Amino acid sequence: MTPLVRSDLPPILVVDDSDDDFDTVSIAARRAGIGNLLVHAVDADAARRLLFAVPGVDYAFMLLDCNLPGEDGLTLLEEVRRHPQRRTLPVIVLTASINPRDRDAFYAAGGNAYHVKLVNFEEGLANLESIFRYWLTHVVLPGADTSSTGKPPCPRTCP
Amino acid sequence: MSRSTLPFPYSIKRHGVSLSNCDDEPVQTPGCIQAHGLLLALSLDDLIVRQASEHWPQRTGLALNQVLDQPLAAVVGPDAAQRIVHAMRTEVLERNALYVLTAPLPHPLCQDVPMDFSVHQADGVLIVEIEPASRPGDTVVTDSDYYSMVKTTLVRLKSASSLSAFCDIAANEVRRTTGLDRVMIYRFHRDETGEVIADAHRSDLSSWLGLRYPASDIPVPARAIFKRIGVRPLPDVDGALMEIVPLLNPVTGRQLDMTYCALRGASVMYTDYLRNMGVAATLTMPILRDGRLWGLIACHHYAPIVLPYTLRAAAEFLGQVTSLEIASAEGREHLEYRLKLEAAHHAVLGQALADGNYAALTDGAPSLLDGIDAGGVAVSENGQWSMAGATPDVQQLTALAAWLTLHSARLADGSTVIALDDLGREYSGGVDSIDCCSGLLAFPVSQRSHGDWVIWFRPEQLQTFQWGGNPYEAGKSTGEHGTRLTPRQSFAVWQEEVRGRAEPWKPVEIEAAKNLRLLMLDVVVARAEQLAALNTDLVRSNDELDAFAYVAGHDLKEPLRGIHKYAHFLLEETKAGRPLDAHGRERIDAMLRLTVRMDSLLDALLHFSRVGRLSLERQPIALGDVVAEATDMLGASLLGRDIDVQIPRPLPTISCDRIRVREVFANLISNAAKYNDKPQRQIEIGYLDPVDGADVVSTFYVRDNGIGIDTKHSERVFMMFKRLHTRDAYGGGSGAGLAIVKKLVEQHNGHSWFTSEVGVGTTFYFTLIGAGMKQSGA
Repeated sequence: MTPLVRSDLPPILVVDDSDDDFDTVSIAARRAGIGNLLVHAVDADAARRLLFAVPGVDYAFMLLDCNLPGEDGLTLLEEVRRHPQRRTLPVIVLTASINPRDRDAFYAAGGNAYHVKLVNFEEGLANLESIFRYWLTHVVLPGADTSSTGKPPCPRTCP
Repeated sequence: MSRSTLPFPYSIKRHGVSLSNCDDEPVQTPGCIQAHGLLLALSLDDLIVRQASEHWPQRTGLALNQVLDQPLAAVVGPDAAQRIVHAMRTEVLERNALYVLTAPLPHPLCQDVPMDFSVHQADGVLIVEIEPASRPGDTVVTDSDYYSMVKTTLVRLKSASSLSAFCDIAANEVRRTTGLDRVMIYRFHRDETGEVIADAHRSDLSSWLGLRYPASDIPVPARAIFKRIGVRPLPDVDGALMEIVPLLNPVTGRQLDMTYCALRGASVMYTDYLRNMGVAATLTMPILRDGRLWGLIACHHYAPIVLPYTLRAAAEFLGQVTSLEIASAEGREHLEYRLKLEAAHHAVLGQALADGNYAALTDGAPSLLDGIDAGGVAVSENGQWSMAGATPDVQQLTALAAWLTLHSARLADGSTVIALDDLGREYSGGVDSIDCCSGLLAFPVSQRSHGDWVIWFRPEQLQTFQWGGNPYEAGKSTGEHGTRLTPRQSFAVWQEEVRGRAEPWKPVEIEAAKNLRLLMLDVVVARAEQLAALNTDLVRSNDELDAFAYVAGHDLKEPLRGIHKYAHFLLEETKAGRPLDAHGRERIDAMLRLTVRMDSLLDALLHFSRVGRLSLERQPIALGDVVAEATDMLGASLLGRDIDVQIPRPLPTISCDRIRVREVFANLISNAAKYNDKPQRQIEIGYLDPVDGADVVSTFYVRDNGIGIDTKHSERVFMMFKRLHTRDAYGGGSGAGLAIVKKLVEQHNGHSWFTSEVGVGTTFYFTLIGAGMKQSGA
């Protein structure tokens, strides 16, 4: 059942200081049957190195926790939006904060979607699965090649 | 008869009864003198007599042509002429009549009658007035007791504590000096009516105190002349008038200016008026204040009298003294009243300030009614009225305030206080309903268009006007010369009901209202600033609370999510009938770990919230002891690490809360030890020397050689549950320590900050302010 990680699919960057939460994300990815590599950064500095110091890697999107040690996720989002190569990277916020100010600040800074982490494990898992399906199946991601067929490309997770 | 058709040259004797308007009468050039004296007018350069009163022949036996165009010496004798010439050389005679000598005129009919000579110059003419000198037995003061009399008078006047007492003394002194039957102090009101405010009279006469007289009783020309002369004698109301011959001065071509003549003939209107009152002689001195005619000292006598120069001079002097002293008498009275008003206003406002509202202005003891003399007072605060005494109702007050706002906008002079004594005339909105308040004194408390007002009310003053005679009775009557003005016949007290007017507001009251307004504006401004500050604090603390709740919420949910997740897995395993394996036991361990973590987060949260609420217990604390305690408390957690704590100089004793400051040091020392990757961990604890000559130590520091903090985190590190490092790095932790430090320091009115270099070390500083104590070498 566990899909193989395929090297031809763009990896997904998961920025979260909680190992438990990353584990949940991994379970959801498996359940959704995606083959994309999950790259884990535990704080903004780690994410920054992955995004800006290794420019060759294209990520499908970034799953970002706003409550990080040190600099918070919002600061990282702002840096991404300023960065010439990363500015179009979809950023999906996954956070424990239900503070409307945080929410609005993320959207204002150019976040693409704001999701709240749920205490209920099954619900949280379902939420994450739908995020993966939606962003990898239905969304045409930036940088995707649509010129050959004139149609949306076959979702990259399709076997 | 209008001014343009006045007869010229004018003589009372010929034209004085044909006037239709007293205000037109040429009182300075009446063309006549009183018959008891003689007058000469001479050209200044040659001292030739150019004009003389017509009765020289009857009095002296000289024909008029033996007077007119004759040298002075030929008319008055060489001795008198010489004395007059001497006076002209040595004295200032311009508009200043001076007594020169007493001597008989050297002519057959009068050579036994001693005469007083006085001279002055006016309009380029020398005027010599010659009157019978006082005789033994006349009520006259001699030069010798003149000085002591005036001195006594001055001392008495200066002793008066109020204006009315002062006027009583002045009236009595003038009566004592002149011996006249009645001496009144007559004061002009704003509307030019006069009121008798002091009356010293012969014991058998009735008092005229408080009587009012209409403005027309003293016509405009008479008022004008009283600003220029010091005394006006009329020794015989029934005395004849003697015309000046010729009426026009041959040298100047004008009528003789008799403004400064003691002998100046009196208007027929005036003598009729006095006659109707039964008065036979008068002596009048003006009371001037700041160049204005404040009032008169009016003396009446009921028989003709001799008013010789000496007596007139004494009376004039008393009049001048009264003029000079009245200002300070009024000042003394105002001062007393002003001090009373100030004291009352300060007390009321002090109470209002303490209460935080204006209730004390109307309800306090004292209230504003204990200040300015008023029937009622109303104060609005944010549109809510409170009243004391007799005032309109709230609805009327609201309408009145709206009108006042408009009215004050119209005041071009930028007046801030509105004073009205005839509100009904000015304000049309509900006069009938506001009969309790014919007078109003008001000011706006704020500058806003719908601002609040403080308003004093004064009732209608119904019964106050006690006229000396009916002022409306005077009119025209037909006499021998046709229609003429006559003064009224009766001077019996005549009461008039004047409606809609209140007693006018005194300048000192208006001034007090202005001062109160300034004080209240200060209070308003102070309160506004206080409110703004409170508001800012409240917004900030609400924001902080909000942010704090969210932070607490998501940080506490994190372990909860983990617990839920592991419980879920265990349940799945159990459902599948699989026994608990090593993996399952790890999950249970994780759940236990997470509950402990959650517990520690909750503890930190409760502690943080308690730190903010408990009040400080300040006392002198030796910080050296506190640091030692803090280090002991940390002992266990620091165990096994190579830590060197240095205190380079003894810490002072300061006023602070022992427990809290110990926690500050404990947190900072713990951090200094934890976030340190050096083999030899060094911690230094000390204080900064006071700056700017202050002798109180207030800034302390804890320095380490640890990992350092990027200064971009300078604010973040003090946030609740905020950690700069991943979960378990550097021994983990809840992220509450520095947030608690910050709060504890803020409770000591201080603040906390750090300087750092990554990889080299960090120094945390904090200040403890308030109730500072001198540094001790402990």
